Amino acid sequence: MSYFFQIVVSGVVVGSIYALAALGLVLVYKSSRVANFAHGQIIAAGAFITYFLTVTVGIPIFFSFLASMIITFFLAMSVERIFLRRLIGEPIISVIMVTIGLGSIIDGLIYLTPFGSENFSFPEFLPQNSLSLGGVSISWTQLLGVIITFLLIGGFSWFFKKSTVGISMRAVSDDQFGAMSVGISVPRVFGLAWAAAGLSAAAAGCIIGNITGLNFETLHAFGIIVFPVVILGGLDSILGAVVAGIIMGLIQQFAGGYLDGNFGLSGTGNVLPYIILLIILLFKPHGLFGIHEIERV
Amino acid sequence: MSANPWLATGNFYTTYKQEQKTFFTNLDRSVFTFFLVILYAWPLLFPLGNKYMLIVDNILIAIVAVMGLNLVTGFAGLISIGHAAFVGIGAYTIASFCRTIGDSHILITHLWPLLIIFSGLVGAVFGAIVGLPALRLKHLYLAIATLSFQMIFEWTIQFMSFFNQGQTIFVGRVFWFTGKVGRKDHYVFWYFVILTFVVLLGFGIRNLLKTRYGRSLIAVRDNDRAADAMGMNPGLTKVYAFALSGFFAGVAGALHAYVYRGVGFESFTLHESIGYLAMAIVGGLGTLNGSFWGPVAIKFLDLQVERLAETAGQYLPAGMNLATALKPLTFGLVIVLFLMFEPRGIANWWRIVKSYMKMWPFRY
Repeated sequence: MSYFFQIVVSGVVVGSIYALAALGLVLVYKSSRVANFAHGQIIAAGAFITYFLTVTVGIPIFFSFLASMIITFFLAMSVERIFLRRLIGEPIISVIMVTIGLGSIIDGLIYLTPFGSENFSFPEFLPQNSLSLGGVSISWTQLLGVIITFLLIGGFSWFFKKSTVGISMRAVSDDQFGAMSVGISVPRVFGLAWAAAGLSAAAAGCIIGNITGLNFETLHAFGIIVFPVVILGGLDSILGAVVAGIIMGLIQQFAGGYLDGNFGLSGTGNVLPYIILLIILLFKPHGLFGIHEIERV
Repeated sequence: MSANPWLATGNFYTTYKQEQKTFFTNLDRSVFTFFLVILYAWPLLFPLGNKYMLIVDNILIAIVAVMGLNLVTGFAGLISIGHAAFVGIGAYTIASFCRTIGDSHILITHLWPLLIIFSGLVGAVFGAIVGLPALRLKHLYLAIATLSFQMIFEWTIQFMSFFNQGQTIFVGRVFWFTGKVGRKDHYVFWYFVILTFVVLLGFGIRNLLKTRYGRSLIAVRDNDRAADAMGMNPGLTKVYAFALSGFFAGVAGALHAYVYRGVGFESFTLHESIGYLAMAIVGGLGTLNGSFWGPVAIKFLDLQVERLAETAGQYLPAGMNLATALKPLTFGLVIVLFLMFEPRGIANWWRIVKSYMKMWPFRY
């Protein structure tokens, strides 16, 4: 039984990281209807900036965490300003390919640094022994990661519910012309959405980096695995991202824990999200909490 | 038809039949024949080393694949981020024959043209299956569905021991009328074969676009509800488009398997899919000649970047691999710059040149 609970715990840990990674995608999609295929690269960039500031420059990890969030905030904002703003109103394939191209550019830039090819790990700043509760263990890093994730997601939800900027962002996602007519600057909202996505991506990158170590391939794979998560949750729902993230994490861990090794299977955790994704797309394309905007042809 | 069968300054169609002709003027026909002769003759006149011939073969295979992708993404407007998986299905059809009946069975060495067509058909079947979500999904959702097909394909190949867990599966040397195609002539021989496929399939697409189905593809892309109202079946059109693109990809995959004399998993990854999309975009989506320009441009760029990285690598510390960094960098830059400044691709430059030639000596 403790095996079962152990899997549940690691599923929740992985799932909350997925939720945080998916949050950035949802924020951008919600306001500007752009699916960001460069999200994994922004996650990686955030993690590497934190590492660079902590280890090479020597800032305490907490401050470098904040600093990298601020840097990616402006980075993502300028990406939107320079590249995406020209493409408003272009066909969806152009927008998708521009984000893929941007991802490729960031790939190249990261490969220019040592981060592209080598493995790094953050300096330890938490107690090494893991917390054990009735046979189920969770490390302090994982616990902190989950707590930070939920704080950030709570913060974003509050931001969207209460703050003026958040409300204007919701207004834009609801109806762009309506939002314009009440004096909201739509381009500014797009920029802010990208900036917020960059911020959450950096946070996700740091948490992943602390839990699994810094490896470019792993970090950048998160940019693809978030797609099953956001589709399951509904592309424009923050709550959906959280719920679907945790569901996906649990599914992956259960597949890894129970399916692998039996029936001659292996690596099912990597493929199951996509099979589920296909099934969801066929039967419930708007996801669990998304807006029903799919039309049949 | 204009009075002058060689030069036509403008369109002079009086019937639909005339508009459907493959060549409008004798000049078009002779220019095309001239290029065709050059394409077939140059490897005999100026023989290249195997290394460069492989690159040329590679470009031609990419052209076959991109023609298929252009059909589904350019003409039908359905984004496919899983095209490399279809190419992989073609290649792994050949590979599974090799695994079951041995890699130098007479079917593989002598009846290879049939096998290539068969791989195309297998690709078409898979294309139709993957295209089924297109009945319900559009745009981004469809793109993500094809993406998940790509991931499932990658997992299946790496997981199944029948496919050697993604390690190379060897394919035997083929026979021609003159006997076994040896190591020296291998790439030149396949150059001619692939070129023939490119010409035949290119004519196929060109004619397809002038048929009822070809026009309905474009109608469905531009507005599927209006197309529905005009009596087309958008769902079926989309599934057919995926099947056709699967056919092209399957043929490309089979050719890839034969040229490399082996099938390995790493040629059919998500990265390759994105590469095909980039080629289609740089060439020009929704144009036939874009499918030729795109692969040439992207592969040529890749080659130049590799060369540059090699030269620059001599002056840099040994541990640094410049090519791995510069390749994605230039690749991304080319995509982004083309989408921002020339979204219609290289085919648009070709169109400008052509219309200038047509109107000459007048400006318009």
